[in-house]
Parts: sequence; C-alpha cells; structure tokens
Amino acid sequence: MAFISTGYDPKKPMEGRITDIGPHKYSQYFPPVIAKNFGKWQYHEILEPGVIMHVAESGDKIYTVRVGGSRTMSITHIREICDIADKYCDGFVRWTTRNNIEFMCSDEETMKKLRDDLNSREFAGGSKKFPVGGTGACVCNMIHTQGWVHCHTPATDASGPVKAVMDVVFKEFSEMNMPAPVRLALACCINMCGAVHCSDIGLVGIHRKPPMIDHEWADQLCEIPLAVAACPTAAVRPTKVEYDGQKVNSIAIKDDRCMYCGNCYTMCPALPIADGETDGIAIMIGGKVANRITWPAFSKVVVAYIPNEPPRWPTLTKTVKHIIEVYAANARKYERVGDWANRIGWEDFFRLTGLEFSEHLIDDFRESAYYSWRQTTQFKF
Amino acid sequence: MAGVCTDEEREKVVDFLNGKSSVKSKFYFQDFLPLFPDKKPREVKKVLSALIDGGVLEYWSSGSTTMYGLKGAGKQSAAEGES
Amino acid sequence: MAKFKTPLLDELETGPWPSFVADIKQESAHRDANPDNLDYQIPADTLDDLLGQLELSYKEKETHWKHGGIVGVFGYGGGVIGRYSDQPEMFPGIAAFHTMRVAQPAGKYYDTKFLRKLCDIWDLRGSGLTNMHGSTGDIVLLGTQTPQLEEIFWELTHDLNNDLGGSGSNLRTPAACLGQSRCEYACYNTQDMCYNLTEEYQDELHRPAFPYKFKFKFDGCPNGCVCSMARSDFAVIGTWKDDIKIDQEKVKAYVGGEFKPNAGSHAGRDWGPFDIQKEVVERCPSQCMKWDGNALTIDNANCVRCMHCIDTMPRALRIGDERGATILVGAKAPVVDGAQLGSVLVPFISTEEPYDEIKELINKIWDWWMEEGKNRERLGETMKRLSFQKLLDATEVPAQPCQVKHPRTNPFIFFKEDEVPGGWKRDLAAYRQRHQR
Repeated sequence: MAFISTGYDPKKPMEGRITDIGPHKYSQYFPPVIAKNFGKWQYHEILEPGVIMHVAESGDKIYTVRVGGSRTMSITHIREICDIADKYCDGFVRWTTRNNIEFMCSDEETMKKLRDDLNSREFAGGSKKFPVGGTGACVCNMIHTQGWVHCHTPATDASGPVKAVMDVVFKEFSEMNMPAPVRLALACCINMCGAVHCSDIGLVGIHRKPPMIDHEWADQLCEIPLAVAACPTAAVRPTKVEYDGQKVNSIAIKDDRCMYCGNCYTMCPALPIADGETDGIAIMIGGKVANRITWPAFSKVVVAYIPNEPPRWPTLTKTVKHIIEVYAANARKYERVGDWANRIGWEDFFRLTGLEFSEHLIDDFRESAYYSWRQTTQFKF
Repeated sequence: MAGVCTDEEREKVVDFLNGKSSVKSKFYFQDFLPLFPDKKPREVKKVLSALIDGGVLEYWSSGSTTMYGLKGAGKQSAAEGES
Repeated sequence: MAKFKTPLLDELETGPWPSFVADIKQESAHRDANPDNLDYQIPADTLDDLLGQLELSYKEKETHWKHGGIVGVFGYGGGVIGRYSDQPEMFPGIAAFHTMRVAQPAGKYYDTKFLRKLCDIWDLRGSGLTNMHGSTGDIVLLGTQTPQLEEIFWELTHDLNNDLGGSGSNLRTPAACLGQSRCEYACYNTQDMCYNLTEEYQDELHRPAFPYKFKFKFDGCPNGCVCSMARSDFAVIGTWKDDIKIDQEKVKAYVGGEFKPNAGSHAGRDWGPFDIQKEVVERCPSQCMKWDGNALTIDNANCVRCMHCIDTMPRALRIGDERGATILVGAKAPVVDGAQLGSVLVPFISTEEPYDEIKELINKIWDWWMEEGKNRERLGETMKRLSFQKLLDATEVPAQPCQVKHPRTNPFIFFKEDEVPGGWKRDLAAYRQRHQR
C-alpha cells in the first residue's frame, strides 16, 4: 500500500485547512415535489404497509416507500440504494430516525414498480435487503447501539440480537396489526448511547459483576486517578497492593457500590468488565415519547436478566414475541404498551404475560425508587 | 474560531499541568476554571483552544467526555502505537 | 475466500430481516475483488478480521474492543472515537479501527451524488462499513486508522464541503424530524432551525468545554418522532396557541367510513367501524371535545395539544395557525442519576428565523451550566442538584404552573433574602423586649 496524500501536511496542519462548516443545508437534497410543496402538505394516508401517500394543498402527491434498514451498513449496500434511487426517485433518498430508508416518487405506477423491486432484492443467505413496512400500528424497526461489532463496554451484541428479534416479529413489521406503534430499541450496556429508556420494549445489555483488577498492569497501563474519577458511584479508589512480592500502585473497587457501567474500563484497560457467562440482557417495557393521549413515560424493567445466547438469542426473542402477542391480544386500539399495562394494572400484566415478578423488579436506586412503590390499599389480588 | 491566549495565560496552564503531572496528565475543562477566577468559562475556553491550536495541549476523549492534557503526556496517549 | 470460518455468524444470514452479516460479507468480497483497482489505504482484509473477531465474541460472549483516547482531527475535540482490538495479532486488519462521525443534513435527505462520493472516500480510506445512522443522528464511518483521519477530513471538507459531527463534552450533532418537508403536523421548520443552530454553534460542537455532552433535538409537533423529549438536553417541540381547524364535512367522511382513521395505520386488523365517540372524544386527555352526531366541537381553551384527534383524523383536523414551540430541558438516559425526560421551561417561544429568542435562551443556559455544572453532569442533573428555580433565575424565565405536575408537597421553601422584609438581619434586642430568655 502506498500512502495517498490529499495534500494535507502534518507539519503545517493549518495550511489550507477548512473547519467549522457543519453539514450540508437540508434543502439541497429535496426531491422537486418536496421542495415545491414545503410547508404546504395537507394530509397523508398509508396506502398499504410501508407505502405512504402525502398530498399537498397544490394537489401534488408524493409516494413514499419505507423499508427497514440494518443500521450497520456497507458502502456496497449504500451504492445499491443509490442505484435504486437513481432508477426510480430522481436520485433522492432519505433515512428516518429509526434506521429506515425512504424512497420517494411522485406517481403511483413508479411507486408500485419500486415497491416490488425493493421487496424482491435479497442478500446471499436469503434475507431481504429492503423489506417494505414499518408504518402505522406496526412493530417498528429497532434503534440500537454498536455491541460487539464496535464497542468496548457492551454486555451483549447489538446488531445480532436486533436481527434475531426483527426476524421473529417480521410479520408485525410488515403488517399493521398492532393496537398502536410498538417501538423497540436495544442498548448494549446501561450507558445507553442509544437511549432506550422511553421505548415500548427496550432491551438493555447488563453486566452483573464488578470489573476485575489487573494489579500487574494497572499502574503501567493507566493513570489511576483517571479511573477513580471515571466512576459515577465513587466505588473505585487508589490503593497499594502486594503483587509478586512487591508493593505496587493499583486500584480497589467497592463491589457493592459498583453499577457495572464500565466507565472505569474506558479510562483504564486494566479493569476489564466483560464476563461471557454472566452478562446478558434486561427487558424494559411501557415507555413512550409521544405526547399523544398520555404523557411520555419511562420504560420499566419486567425481566431482570436473560443470558446471552448467540447467535440467535432464543430466550430473548421468545420473551419479546410473547410480550408483543399478549399486548396485541389485550390492548385497546391506540393503546401503547405502557398505557395498556397501566390500565390493566401491573398485577394483571404479570398474570397475563406469565412473566415472573421478582425482587429485582422493585426499584432500589436512589430517591426515585420510593415513587415507584405503591402507597394505597388499591390493588388486585 | 481560533482562540486567544497570552504568554502569561499559557504559562499558567502549563505550570498547572506540570505541577500535577505526578498525579495525572488529563483534566476536565472545569478543572481549569479556578486558574482564571476573573474569566467566564467561555473566555477560558478561548485560552485552551489557542493552546490546542498551538500544539501545547491536546484533547483526550472517553467518547462521552473530553479531557485536556499537555501534548504527548501521560500513560494513555491518544493514538496507541499506530504508525 | 473468507479468511475465517464464522459458523455462528452464518446463522444470522437466514431469516427475512436484512442480515448485517451478509452485508459485511458482501463488502468483504468487494474488497477482495477490488473491482476499481484501488490502493486500499487500510488493510484490504479489514472486514475479514472484523468478522473473525466478531465470531470470537459470539463464541466467548465477550467484546474484543478497547477504547482509545483519540478525539478527532487537529484542533477538534470530537468527531472521532478510538477503537483498538484486544487481539491485534490474530486480527491485524482491525488492530486500530476508529469511528468517524460525519454531520448529516437535517431530516436525512440525500442525493445519490453525495452518497456515492462519501462511499468513494470510505472505500479508499476506510473499512467500507458504516452506520446509517448513529444514535445521535450522524453518519458513522466505522473503522479506519489514525493516519487516515486527517486525509478523510481533508476530503470531506475540501471535496464534499461537509464537516465532522460531535463527540465528547461538546454540543452533539443536532437532529431534527423531517418537519415541514413532508409532514402536515409540523408547527415550525425543524430542519431550518436545526441547520441554523448547528452552524451558529460550530465552535461548541467541535471544541469541547462543557461539563458533559449536550444535545439539541427538534420535533415539529408533540408526536415527537425524533424523541427530543427523551433524548436531548434542549428539546424544541412545535406547538400552537389558537384553535384546531375543523373541516366538518371531512369529520363526517371519517364517521361514515369514507376515510380510514389514523391515515390507515390500523388497516392490518379488523377493528370494526370507526367510532368517533369512543376512539376520539373519549380518548381526549382533557375531555375537551364533543360530537353531537352532526358536528365536532372542540373547547380549544382546554385542549392540551396531545395530537390524538389530529392523528386520528388528519384530513379533517389541522394544527392551529398561531405556531411556535415549547422548550423542554434536561432529558437524559439513566446513567448515572436515573433517567430524566425533558421538563417544560418555556411553554411558548417564537420559531421565526433567525431564532434569536431561542439562541438567547441557549446562551443563558450554557453560561449557567458551564459555570455551575460538575464534571460529567448533564444539564438535567445540574437542575436536580441546584433546583429548577436556579435555572429560572439564570434564564430569566418566569415561574408558571405549566412547569410543574403539581406544586411542591413540602413547606421547605428557600426564600431569597430580598424577598423577606428586612432580610436576614434581625433585631435581637427588640425581640428580647417582647420575650424573656
């Protein structure tokens, strides 16, 4: 490999440098119909799962075909998206907040060809490249984090469990048979760089053991005060220990204060936290962000721990599918998962789903815990 | 966006970091505020930005947070053994 | 030819959902074939090694990445996340495998020219793997080595006129819903506000000087498709003050079954005929609607703009015309002091360009938080620690009932000294004239 220079000179980094220009202006990528009718849209209708028609005051229409995307995506795949957009959509395409891809065109005939073309494309192995769906009262595409593909503190993978879950709810993604939208999300550790704390069903990777301390290397690899400062619960402190007959500077961790966040490992590679056999996933349900009917709400933990079972996480997918099925069978139209649970009461949620209620599901974290305990004699036997 | 920094200000920051070098090499932005009690945080930022551009300081990031240190100092430098 | 056997990952190639494994393999095969005869600037087999390491993680159920402290390009304190393999001898192609965050256009519309150019850069100088998009909204380029960072930045800025996004203790790449570009609910131009503020605050985005990360998100209406209330320190959510506009003929069309309720979103199941009384009037959270069999009336003064009736009958009901936004501040994920949703700070603010009122508010919040915030403390946590009142003082926003669920339940009120006649200085001698010791 020969290094190909752009003209950047490391000795003179400021020479010819362009900074602080930000992103491109949004409007330069509008398809002509979007540009023309900006701010003048009148209504929309979901014609079939994954296909939305927006109608403007001018009478102009735009047809959107929404497909689920895997957010971990190759440039070969993006180039294929470009080929499709060039063929049907005048070279325009967009992504949604939930990793869907939207192809837009301004006539119905093209839309149908586009939809069929998208539905027909498959990866080697048989998975769909562009499954049409993700609209209305469906199980939406998942937002997620990096997992074992690219993160240093995950307690589970992200892309893998997401693929496994979406495979078992594929019908629910492709049809609109839910009482309301069901938004799934996965964060591969409690830091939640993909926030899942307000999802209908949130999956969160959890570690269950404090980090190990590599006394031999701690002082050589790390600046111990930085690891100490990184701990959000003040569980990490500097100490001296006997190692190999010598006193060495190292770290001590107060195990019962540790919340297994891995922040100290970020600062100090001598504090590994991952533990294959005991890491896993917690399931939280009933969160929402929309202000529709009820207030936005946090998700609540209903399954404290499911072990990691790669490659297909069967216990996890079975549990998620089951919760969705019980919800779909019992909730009212427009009722989100959390609104349903609140209406029937948590006693009935656990009874209907058959999920086990254990002490792990009772909040004991700081002052918010009290507000989740029940201060009334109203409850169901 | 370039920051501004006098010799005196540079000295203050460098002395502070050298004085702490036996303990740790990287500090949060807030840790520098007491060095300049008469300056607003945004003015202190200008000083530090100028020192970054001048190659005196460098950033270190945990991904979620960022720290400042003397360029090349510390056990965990920014790039680990890459060419 | 694949470098490593990946029997576990191979099982993720089947099933209907798009397989990231199949996609990575396709990219790996593309790099092996090198049809454009590129002089790849990072190892051609980088994705083989990625699959090999991932397979190992699937076997051991543990990650093999370490964090690196690298932050960005020269002068920037964010935009790059450093990653190193903890098995570099086994997987030399990913020994270093850094992420670059690239600023996305608001609303995530693209043309293929831009995307193809970006792919070309990443083909030559990176792994060819991306996230479209990262959680915060950036285009994420996944996997390159340190010497390529400046080169990629140079090509991004010079050839593509595009900047990096944020990471670390700075303003993170702001994100907006698609707003007025294709949505009849959008109460303001979310994309423009997002773009304008992103440009205004480039220094805050690239040069970290905050206690911790800070996120803006822009939702056009209370449906909140970009989740600003849950995911941003400063959420701008479109709203209106006047009346919901009603087209009675179209209401009747919904009632008569001519239009599908909720824009057809429930078509996958037979929910029976649309019942406006049960599905709309009785679900209204403030019970401000009436249907008399002929006309729908809304007591707009009591409407809390939850969007339900508009969502259910989009052709008959439309948002009002006196539009602006509500500002909610302090949302964050649970780490470390528990999750927070955004709390109402300003009930109604102008959303007219050039957004001076909003910028003024942001600047006041930042001045306060930069001064008072502790290291690694999100705005929401600073608010909790120091009180909502302190934020009101700092932002000069008046206290009002819509900022609370209910008034305080304790009488431990901290009055300010100047609020109490005479202040804290008291006359003990006078007191003693009235009272014995």
